[in-house]
Amino acid sequence: MSSIRWLSPKRLLPGINRAASRRVRRWARRRQGADGPVTRLQPRRLYILPTGVGLIFALMTFAMLLGSMNYNNNLSFVLTFILIGIGFVAMHQCQRNLVGLEVSFAGTEPVFAGQSAQFRIAVANRSKSPRYRIRLYIDDVQSDIKDLEPGESRIFVLPVRTERRGWVTLERFGIRTLFPFELFRSWAWLHMNPKGIVYPHPAEHAPPPPASRTALGHRQHDARGEEDFAGLRKFHIGDSPRNVAWKAYARSDQLLSKQFAGADMSSQWFDFDAVVADDLEQRLAILTRWIIDADRTQEDYGLRLPGQSFPPAHGEAHRRQCLEALALFGLENPDG
Amino acid sequence: MAKARGTDGSLLASLPWTLLALAFALLPHVPYLPAWITAALLTCAIWRYSIEVRRKPVPPALLRAALALLAFLGVLYTYSTISGVGPGSALLAIMAALKLLETRQRRDQFVLLFIAIFLVMSSLLREQYLWSLPYLVLGIILIMTAWLRTAADDAEPVRRSLGTSGRLVLYAAPLALAMWIFFPRISTPFWAVPIDTGTAVTGLSDTISPGDISALSKSDAVAFRVKFEGTVPDPKDRYWRGLVLHRFDGRTWSGISEPRISSSALENTETLGTAVNYRVTMEPTRQHWMFALDIPYDWDLESTFLGPQHQLARVQPIDQRIAYNAVSFPEYRIDAGMHSSRRNWYLEFPEGRNPRTAELARSMRAAARSDESYIHAVLTKFNEENYHYTLEPPPLGSRPVDRFLFETQRGFCEHYASAFALMMRAAGIPARIVVGYQGGELNPVGDYMIVRQADAHAWTEVWLPGAGWRRVDPTAAVAPERVDAGRTGAMFDGSGAAWGLGAPSMLLHNIVLAWDAANAKWNEWILGYGPENQERFMTWLGMDDPDWRQMLLTLVAIVTGLTMLISLALILRYRPPPRDRAAILYDRFVRKSGLTPATGETPRVFAGRVQRDGALPAVAVRGITDTYLDVRYGPPDPSLLQRLESDIAAL
Repeated sequence: MSSIRWLSPKRLLPGINRAASRRVRRWARRRQGADGPVTRLQPRRLYILPTGVGLIFALMTFAMLLGSMNYNNNLSFVLTFILIGIGFVAMHQCQRNLVGLEVSFAGTEPVFAGQSAQFRIAVANRSKSPRYRIRLYIDDVQSDIKDLEPGESRIFVLPVRTERRGWVTLERFGIRTLFPFELFRSWAWLHMNPKGIVYPHPAEHAPPPPASRTALGHRQHDARGEEDFAGLRKFHIGDSPRNVAWKAYARSDQLLSKQFAGADMSSQWFDFDAVVADDLEQRLAILTRWIIDADRTQEDYGLRLPGQSFPPAHGEAHRRQCLEALALFGLENPDG
Repeated sequence: MAKARGTDGSLLASLPWTLLALAFALLPHVPYLPAWITAALLTCAIWRYSIEVRRKPVPPALLRAALALLAFLGVLYTYSTISGVGPGSALLAIMAALKLLETRQRRDQFVLLFIAIFLVMSSLLREQYLWSLPYLVLGIILIMTAWLRTAADDAEPVRRSLGTSGRLVLYAAPLALAMWIFFPRISTPFWAVPIDTGTAVTGLSDTISPGDISALSKSDAVAFRVKFEGTVPDPKDRYWRGLVLHRFDGRTWSGISEPRISSSALENTETLGTAVNYRVTMEPTRQHWMFALDIPYDWDLESTFLGPQHQLARVQPIDQRIAYNAVSFPEYRIDAGMHSSRRNWYLEFPEGRNPRTAELARSMRAAARSDESYIHAVLTKFNEENYHYTLEPPPLGSRPVDRFLFETQRGFCEHYASAFALMMRAAGIPARIVVGYQGGELNPVGDYMIVRQADAHAWTEVWLPGAGWRRVDPTAAVAPERVDAGRTGAMFDGSGAAWGLGAPSMLLHNIVLAWDAANAKWNEWILGYGPENQERFMTWLGMDDPDWRQMLLTLVAIVTGLTMLISLALILRYRPPPRDRAAILYDRFVRKSGLTPATGETPRVFAGRVQRDGALPAVAVRGITDTYLDVRYGPPDPSLLQRLESDIAAL
């Protein structure tokens, strides 16, 4: 229905609209202040405007009113007035569909710079009636549309593109609805400043990690040392399934991991100062790449940065610690 | 031409509802639309739906354009115009059919629903029956349901969409009612568009030609309804004067072509006896004539006047239902002193067209002592000789009166009036024919009189020196029961027969009367709510001298109040559910402890803190916490809740 889309204010005055909406948002931000981690939508922070369909609906009912007056037809007056009444009701219903919703930040997963951070926002309906057609958005990025049953809480995902390592903040996002008839759009802006961590973008072509000064024995990055079987130990979460002694498991019902002499002694150190690169970011990128690769092969690794160091270990928590340190290394405001 | 892409089935949840809403909106148009348009819309609906089911692409743009052109030409060919309700609704139906074929996205259906709304509107312009109100309300609920479903989740049950749109229409209803009552009505239209409703309006014809194909209506359609103040005239006095015919060409009687104002008609009226006051609500006739009890003396409708022959007429044709109060005098003397030149007007007839009638009249007049006895002799002749009253008389050739009087001798009121008037004129007595209605059935439900098209009647008036115009109804001489009893019973039998009941059913008759009474109220209060009724209603509400400003202000105030009520209803609707008993009791316990649980602190951890605090007995705290957790997470057990309450009270 191109005609209806054409009538939307966004289309009619794109430039003015952009400038005006920036201004309005700044004003709203000043007016509302920052929001807490759990924000309940109050009527005073909800805005409402007619949509293109709403404007056409208004024009149509006006034409019908003129027609009814001209013909003095009392039944078409009834029809016209019911439609006008529906317009009124739709306006209130549209706004009330959002009032009282509880919005809270439900975390993000760390991403590498260049990927988009998936901000998870929980919206809870703490009322007796269902809320329909709720959507979250940031400018042109929109989440899925969801209905919320009474008492239900659902997660909306907002993807945010990242460019640099460090913290990514969702300064502002909106929640809106067109329910019931798309005659009105009601929305609220939220400034909860949820943060997500962005790891450095891993270097595409990294030199092999240097032979560590503390590593016992000489080994290359790609030498797994898997031939040097050293024995079995109890399986730990995080051990590679490739290293599980499946035959032993079949015999004894006990999960055991194979230990290799090479792996045992490969607790290598990735040293910031040892990386040969043009600049800081490049160094961090190479370190990131090494950590990812080492993590993939379940090797122990340690990370040494100026001022902090993480002794060799492996596993998800260790990886996260190291990558986070890289992400925030040297930033002026590491707390976000 | 756009690349043909298959549809994705995303319309399957909403399209059936859009189609249903369209079909419902089209329903009242079907009898008036040419069959090909209904068929086209039906075909397109089925076509489009099967496209969606089979995920096929919609028809190409070129084909759609060709179909559009064809359909438009078809409408133009059928109606030879595109304005008016008939062609307008035909075009709407065609637009809906074509839009269906290019509907790809869910939102495209809005256009279809807008068309459905306009179809409902145009059906209301065409006809406004009692059932039109439930029809339009149901139509809106269906349309709004379809509207909701264009955006709703695919899995949303139909009952829920219907519930939501029904609820919103219910909220809108009081607003609509307030606007309907208080929105100022105006009497003059902005632009005059003839409403081509496509319905035939039955009324009286401007001329009568006895012997042509019987044009007498047997229709039970209501001509007008009358409410009397005080006594109701006897059946024999229920002559409703319409138009007067005085020109006779040997075959056809005609009157003045356009009503003219006569300033002298009232002056030449001498009223005798008592006045009859009544209110007439007249169905549209698209003619100028209005009906009043013989003989009308006063009325309260603007741009309405009394013609020289005491016929009541309105300047503009009556194309809407009108209501007026009137005063009549059943006993009167009019035009007693008519000038001889005017008298000659009422004596003219073409010599030689009906020679035998003229000859008979002259010989009978010669045999009679006076005009009165001559009139009596003619009536006696009708009464005693072999004349019959029938609604299906044989056709009468080129000398209609001669053939009727001497050969067929069978006819209805027009035949007798025509023959009688000619016999009077041939004998030198001024005579004319009055066309109107005779009779009327009293409806005890609602206490008013129904005059139907089948009550249409023609009678004569003769002028006698000193007495003026005197009504003579020759039909009464032939079929006295036609005049005395009116037609009561005819309809009664008729409706029984229409329902396939052999014996007249009194119950059915009463239902028919009750239905008519409901319609009369409907017409008066709903359809007739115009400037006058509105003013009356506003005055009754206590507004003195109501004008449009006052009404609009009142309307704004009421709408504001109602909007606040709707807001309140919505707030209640979205209020949080009541806290359960256990939570309330636990809160009581927390208050007694004097501590505040931290966010995320479990009851057990909190209990530990309370015990360390020492203000409450540790055992009781432990017990209460356990009971609370059992109530919360254990199987339902009312005794636990009681124990919790008593334990907390005991603290």
